[in-house]
Amino acid sequence: MLSAQERAQVAQVWDLIAGHEASFGAELLLRLFTVYPSTKIYFKHLGLCLDETQLLTHGQRMLEAVGVAVQHMDNLRAALSPLADLHAQVLRVDPSNFPLLIQCFQVVLASHLQGEFTVEMQAAWDKFLTGVAVVLTEKYR
Amino acid sequence: MVHFTAEEKAAVVSLWARVNVELVGGEVLGRLLVVYPWTQRFFDSFGNLSSESAIMGNPKVKAHGKKVLTSFGNAVKHMDDLKDTFAKLSELHCDKLHVDPENFKLLGNVLVCVLAHHFGKEFTPQVQAAYQKVVAGVANALAHKYH
Repeated sequence: MLSAQERAQVAQVWDLIAGHEASFGAELLLRLFTVYPSTKIYFKHLGLCLDETQLLTHGQRMLEAVGVAVQHMDNLRAALSPLADLHAQVLRVDPSNFPLLIQCFQVVLASHLQGEFTVEMQAAWDKFLTGVAVVLTEKYR
Repeated sequence: MVHFTAEEKAAVVSLWARVNVELVGGEVLGRLLVVYPWTQRFFDSFGNLSSESAIMGNPKVKAHGKKVLTSFGNAVKHMDDLKDTFAKLSELHCDKLHVDPENFKLLGNVLVCVLAHHFGKEFTPQVQAAYQKVVAGVANALAHKYH
């Protein structure tokens, strides 16, 4: 699905994120909840008001999972199988929400990295994350 | 109908005043064609769209991008009246251009990314939220007259 060049671009993007999983992840969630308030319903179990600590913790967890996906671009299904089970059986996040998260992810990267985040990197990253979303929702039915 | 608070309007208008419509327009359209290549279907007459650099450097892409973004600037001036503002353009996109309304959402999202790219940290979650609301409103307005 991803060409060799696209994989290289994805790896390049990850290099810019690695080490900042918590802060990028927290900002990702903050933007998601601010721009698309309906997405908050999936986090009610974490408490009524997601404070900074929770955003950092959960954001880090999510971005670490993205890191796993980056390491296993050749075999996303196997690498993400436990997460796919979780999403299908427990979380059951409506598939329409993944593009919203992806949009916010692009905005986080664009606003932080600016010039370093090229058009090609955006294209490859979008394709990659869309593939991850497909895998995470594949076991829904 | 979309309702914008005073804060949202202020955020949108003040940022827009600092947007170089010519530059940003070309970049937005270019990015759309690169990130979502199937959108190139509407631009067969634009010449070389064979690579990222060809697209981003294509003069027709830049010119058309400027046209599109200038039109978008109208939305910023008429945030309370998007449906009427874009009624004629909606008919055009349906009857003459035959554009799937899904593309308006894609373009809107790319515009938001480009603004984030240009304005960096200034493009806060609140500013992003206001702009996502505007682009969604424009997308709906452009789809409104489809039949």
